Amino acid sequence: MADRHLHPANGNSASSQFGGAAPFFVGLVVALILGWWAFPQMLYSQKHQPVRFSHKVHMEGAGMECSSCHFLREDGSFAGLPTTESCAECHSEPLGSDPEEARFIEEYVNTGKEVEWLVYQKQPDNVFFSHAAHSMNSCNTCHDFTETELCSTCHPNVAETDEAPVYYENKLTKYSKQTMKMWRCEECHAHPEHYGTTRSSNACYVCHK
Amino acid sequence: MQAKEFKVKWGMAIDIDKCTGCGACMVACQAENNLSPIEDASNKIKVMNWLVVYELSNKKPFPEHDVAYLPRPCQQCGTPPCVSVCPVIATDKNEEGGIVSQIYPRCIGCRYCMAACPYHARYFNWLDPVWPEGMEKALTPDVSVRPRGVVEKCSFCHHRFMMAKDKAIVEGRDPEALADGEYVTSCTEACPNGAIVFGDLNNPDHQVYELARSKYASRLLERLHADTQVYYISRREWVRRQLDNYLDNEKVKG
Amino acid sequence: MAVDRRGFLKFVAGVSAGVMVTPIPWKLLDDASIWTQNWPWIPSNVDGATSYVSTVSKLCPSCVGMKVRLVGDRPVRILPDENHPLSKGGISPLAVAEAQMLYSPARVKRPLKRAADGAYVAISWEEADALLAEKLGAAKGSIACVSGDETGSINEVLSSLAVQAGSGNFYLMPTEAQPAAKALAAMGGKGQLGYDIENSDYVLAIGANVLETWGPVISTRAAYKAARPHGEDPAVQFVFAGPVQNSTAAGADQWVPIKAGTEGVFALGIAHLLIKAGATADAADFSAFKSLAEAYTPAKVAEITGTNADQLKAVAAALLKARTPLVVCGSDFGQGTGAGTVMAGIAVNMLLGGLNRKGGLKLLPVAEPVVSSAMSRAEMMDKDFVSYMSRINAGKEKAPKAMVFYEANPAYALPQATKMSEVLGQVSFKVTFTTFLDETAMLCDLVLPVPMGLERLDDVATPYGYGQALYCLARPVAPMPASVKPAGDYIVALAGKLGCSLGVSSWEEVLQAKAKAMDADWDSLMDGNVFTSDATVSANLSFAADLLAKSVNVKAQEGNFAVAPVFKLGIGTAKTAIPPYNNKLIRRWELQGNELYVAMNGATARKLGVMMHDKIVISNKSGSINARVNIFEGIMNDTITVLMGLGHTAFDQFSKGKGENVMQLLTVGFEAGTGLSVWNMAGVTISKA
Repeated sequence: MADRHLHPANGNSASSQFGGAAPFFVGLVVALILGWWAFPQMLYSQKHQPVRFSHKVHMEGAGMECSSCHFLREDGSFAGLPTTESCAECHSEPLGSDPEEARFIEEYVNTGKEVEWLVYQKQPDNVFFSHAAHSMNSCNTCHDFTETELCSTCHPNVAETDEAPVYYENKLTKYSKQTMKMWRCEECHAHPEHYGTTRSSNACYVCHK
Repeated sequence: MQAKEFKVKWGMAIDIDKCTGCGACMVACQAENNLSPIEDASNKIKVMNWLVVYELSNKKPFPEHDVAYLPRPCQQCGTPPCVSVCPVIATDKNEEGGIVSQIYPRCIGCRYCMAACPYHARYFNWLDPVWPEGMEKALTPDVSVRPRGVVEKCSFCHHRFMMAKDKAIVEGRDPEALADGEYVTSCTEACPNGAIVFGDLNNPDHQVYELARSKYASRLLERLHADTQVYYISRREWVRRQLDNYLDNEKVKG
Repeated sequence: MAVDRRGFLKFVAGVSAGVMVTPIPWKLLDDASIWTQNWPWIPSNVDGATSYVSTVSKLCPSCVGMKVRLVGDRPVRILPDENHPLSKGGISPLAVAEAQMLYSPARVKRPLKRAADGAYVAISWEEADALLAEKLGAAKGSIACVSGDETGSINEVLSSLAVQAGSGNFYLMPTEAQPAAKALAAMGGKGQLGYDIENSDYVLAIGANVLETWGPVISTRAAYKAARPHGEDPAVQFVFAGPVQNSTAAGADQWVPIKAGTEGVFALGIAHLLIKAGATADAADFSAFKSLAEAYTPAKVAEITGTNADQLKAVAAALLKARTPLVVCGSDFGQGTGAGTVMAGIAVNMLLGGLNRKGGLKLLPVAEPVVSSAMSRAEMMDKDFVSYMSRINAGKEKAPKAMVFYEANPAYALPQATKMSEVLGQVSFKVTFTTFLDETAMLCDLVLPVPMGLERLDDVATPYGYGQALYCLARPVAPMPASVKPAGDYIVALAGKLGCSLGVSSWEEVLQAKAKAMDADWDSLMDGNVFTSDATVSANLSFAADLLAKSVNVKAQEGNFAVAPVFKLGIGTAKTAIPPYNNKLIRRWELQGNELYVAMNGATARKLGVMMHDKIVISNKSGSINARVNIFEGIMNDTITVLMGLGHTAFDQFSKGKGENVMQLLTVGFEAGTGLSVWNMAGVTISKA
C-alpha cells in the first residue's frame, strides 16, 4: 500500500512533473490539429466546375481578353459570366477535338441550357457590388494596378490556368470559401486614405441592397 | 439634433392636388422592391407597404366635403428618429444623397425604429414572404428578399440610384452629378398623373429644387424638426393644415 | 500511461484552450449566423441582362402602352412607355401587376372538362379538340359567341364564326362603347367617337370617370398631368358630375354632385343654358332640340339630378368662356348607361361647336372587317348581350345550343349576376377560352387555357374614347406555358373545321390584313411602334331630338336609396379579379377580413339610424347583400356606394370570398326609345341586420 500514492507528483522527479502537464499539451495539440486541419476539411466540400474550361486556351490560343466575356454592359451592370448563347457564338460546332468541348455543345449549346458555373466570389443577395465603380480608371487615379492585379485583388487569377480551381463550398452557409467578408471590403472602404478622397464611402447602402 | 448635410439630397415633391388615389405607385413599389403579396390584405398590421396612399378628408359634411390622397413613402428625415434608437446600426443616414439605409441581415427585429418613426413608414415582417408558386420568377434581381423577423422600409429605390451611377461611370460622366430624371423612384415613374417629382433638393437644375421652395410646399409634421426630404404641395389650405397638428387659430404656410 | 481522472481533466482543459485559438468556435458562430440569413424558402435574386420590350396591355381595359423589363428572358416589371400614345409615361395600377399575373394561382394550366359529377378533370388538347368539334358540330346553326375583348381583331374571327356556324349571335361584354356607338348611330353619325381631351382647355365629365376607368384613362391622365404643373394654377379645368366623390372628382377642380342615372338630364340642363346664351348648331332639327332643351330649366334639372342650380349655371358659363371645351358623358362605373346619356353629351358638344374640332369631339374612321362575313364594328356595337340574355330568360328567344366565351366572365360581371348565371344554365354546351379559372369557367363544360397578353400576338384598334384612330400590336414578351394555345390560331382553325370560310388561314394573317386596312405598316408595328391617324369622318349629325327626349327620361327607382357602384381599375375588372399585389389597394373601411363595408354620408346614416361599423342589409328585387357601414361625406344624400370587383366566387385566394358582388343589386331596365339595356340606377331598401 505504501508504494501507492494517491498523488504521485510529490516532488520526487522532473519527469513526473512533466507528465503532470502532458495531458494538457496533448489536448492542446489535438485541438489545434482538429481546429486548423480537420475542421476546415469537414466544413468545406469540394466541388468542380460542371464543364472543364481552360482560360489559357481562350486567352493564348484564341487571343481573347478578359473583357471579351466579362464585360460591363452599356447600362453599367456587369455581365459576369457568359451565357451559353454567347459561348455558342463560337462553339456552335466543335472547334477542336477536346471531348469536353463536344460534351459542352451537346449538353448545353444544343439544349440551350445554362451552365451552372460555380462562382468563387459569389456574394449574398443583400450585397451590391459595382464593377463599374471599381474600374482601372477609378482605382488607378492613385494606384498603378495592372488589370490582372486589380481583378485578382478579389478574384483568383485564372487567366493562365488550363483547369479551373477547386471550389470549396461551406457546408453551413453554402457560400464559396473565397466569398469575401465585409471586412475585406472595408479594407478600402473604411481606409482613411480612401474615405473622402475617392467615392469609396463606407456608408451601408453603398454595398447593400 | 443637427441634420447631417450632404452635397446631394434626394427628395420628392408630391402634389397632393394631382393624386387621385389610383394606387399605381403602390403596386409598382411592391413589384420593384420584391414585396410579397398577402392573402388577407385588410389586416393592416401584417400588410407590408413601403408606400401607402392615405385618404384625407376636410371633415365637412356633404356637399362641402372634399377629399385628397396622400402618398407616403419613407420621408428620409434629416434627423431620423429611427436611426438613433437602433441598437445594432442596422439603419443609418450616412450616404451622399441622404437616403436612410436599412440593412436587413443586420436587423435584429427589435422594432424600436418602428416605435420611433412618426410617419409609420417602417414595417416588420411578421410572416415569411410567400409568393404563389412560380411568381418568384417575376422578382427583380435588384433588391434582396427579406425574411421574417426584420424591419424594412422605403429606400427611395436606392438600387436605381446605384444603377444610375454605374451608367454614368460607364459613360464617362460624373456619377455624383446625375441629371434631373436620371434617377427616379419606381413610384415617381409609375404615376400616370405626374403627382410625384423626384430629384436632388440641393441642385437648382433639378425640378424639385424650386418645388420644395414653393409657397404651397410643406412637410409632414414639420414642427417635429425631423427635416424630412419629402415635400407635399397643395393649393388647398385644409390639406396643408392636416400635414401637421395645427390649432384652429394657427396659420399655415402658403 | 494510464489515464486517470486528473489527467483526463487536464486533457480537456488543453483541448478547451486549444479550441479557442482555432477557427472552430468563431467560424462556426459566424457561419451559423450567415446560415440563418439564407433560409431555403426565401427566394433569391436571379441576375441577368436587362432588356425592354414595348407592347400594349390586353389585361387592362385602358389598353395602356407599356415597356416590359426583362431580366434574361423573365418579365419582371411593367413600366410606363414614354413613347406610347396610350401610356405617355404613365401606367395603370392593373397593368403594372401584369408580369406577376403571369404566375397567378388562378391561371388555367391545361384544358379542363367538366365530368358528370361536376368536377373538372384535366384532359389533353386532342381530347378537347375532339369534344369541341363534336359539340359545336352538333350545335351548328345555334352557336353564340361572347367576347370580353373590346378592341381586338379576335372579334372578327368570333363574329364570323357566329355568323357562319351560328345564328349571328356574337356579343361583346357590356362597356361604355356600346351605348356610345348606339348614340352616334341614332344621331346619324358614322365611325367612332373620339374625345380630344389632350387639346381641350375645359373638360366636363358627366358621369364619365375619366381619371379612373373611362376609356383610355392613362392617356387622359397624361393630358391631365401635362396641364397641371405642381402647385400652379391648372391650365385645363376638369369638372366632374356624379354621385360620388370618386377618383375623378378627387382630381377635378370641381365636383358637381348629381344622382346616378341623371347624367343626360344634367347635360340637357347645360344645353338649355347654352341655348339661352345664344348657342346654336348647324343641324336640321336644331329647333326640335331647342324646344326639348327649353323644358330643362335649372330649377327642373336641380330637382331631378339633385344638384344645385347655381353650380349648373356656373359650369355652363365656364363652358361658354372656354376656348376648346369638351363634354364627356358616361357611366361612373364604366357600364350600364343608356344611349340617351351619350346623345345628350354629343348634343352639348354640338352646341359648343366641338365636332371634329381640335380639343373637341371627333368622329374617327373605323376599318372595314378583314375576315369574311365578320361583323363590322357598328354591327358588333349594335348587339346588346344583356338584352339577349333577358330575352332568353323571358322565353322570348331560344337559348343557343352552344355558347363560346372568349376572355369573358358574364357569370360575375353582368348585372343581376346570379340571374344571368341561371340563364347560362339553359345553354347545353358552353366552352370558354380563358386565362383564369373565373366564375364563367366554373359554369362551362370545357375550359380552354389561352396565353396572357404578354405571351401572345394580339392587337388593339382605337379604344373607345381615344381622340385619334390608333392601331398597335401586343407582342409576345414571355414564353407561353407549354399547355396553353393561342386563341387566335385555334379559333381560326376551329372555324375552318366547322365549315366557315374566313378568307384567312392564320391569326397573323388576320392581324396583317387588319394593319393594312388601318393603313399601318406591319414591320413598324412589329417593332413596337404605334400607328395613329388624325383622319376624321364627316360630322353631319342631327340631334335626334325625339329619341333623346324619350331616352333621357328618368324612371322612378325602387326603394328609398340609390346604389352607386365605385369602379377602381386597380381592384380588377370584369375579366380580371384582384391581382395578388392589388388587394393592398383596398382601403381599410372598404373590406375587413371578408366583410364588405359600404359607404354613405352622415345625413343618410342618421336617416337610417346607423353608425360606423353597423351591420346592414341592402336589398331590392334583384338581390341582397350584407355589409357594414362606413361614413364618407363625399356621397350624395340617400346614396350608398359599394366597391366593385369584390365578391368573387372563383379565381384565387386573393379574390375569392372577399366581400360581395354589387352587380347582384343592379337591375336591368330598358331605355325608352333605343331599347338598350341599362342598369345605371339601382334603387334599394336598407335595413339594419
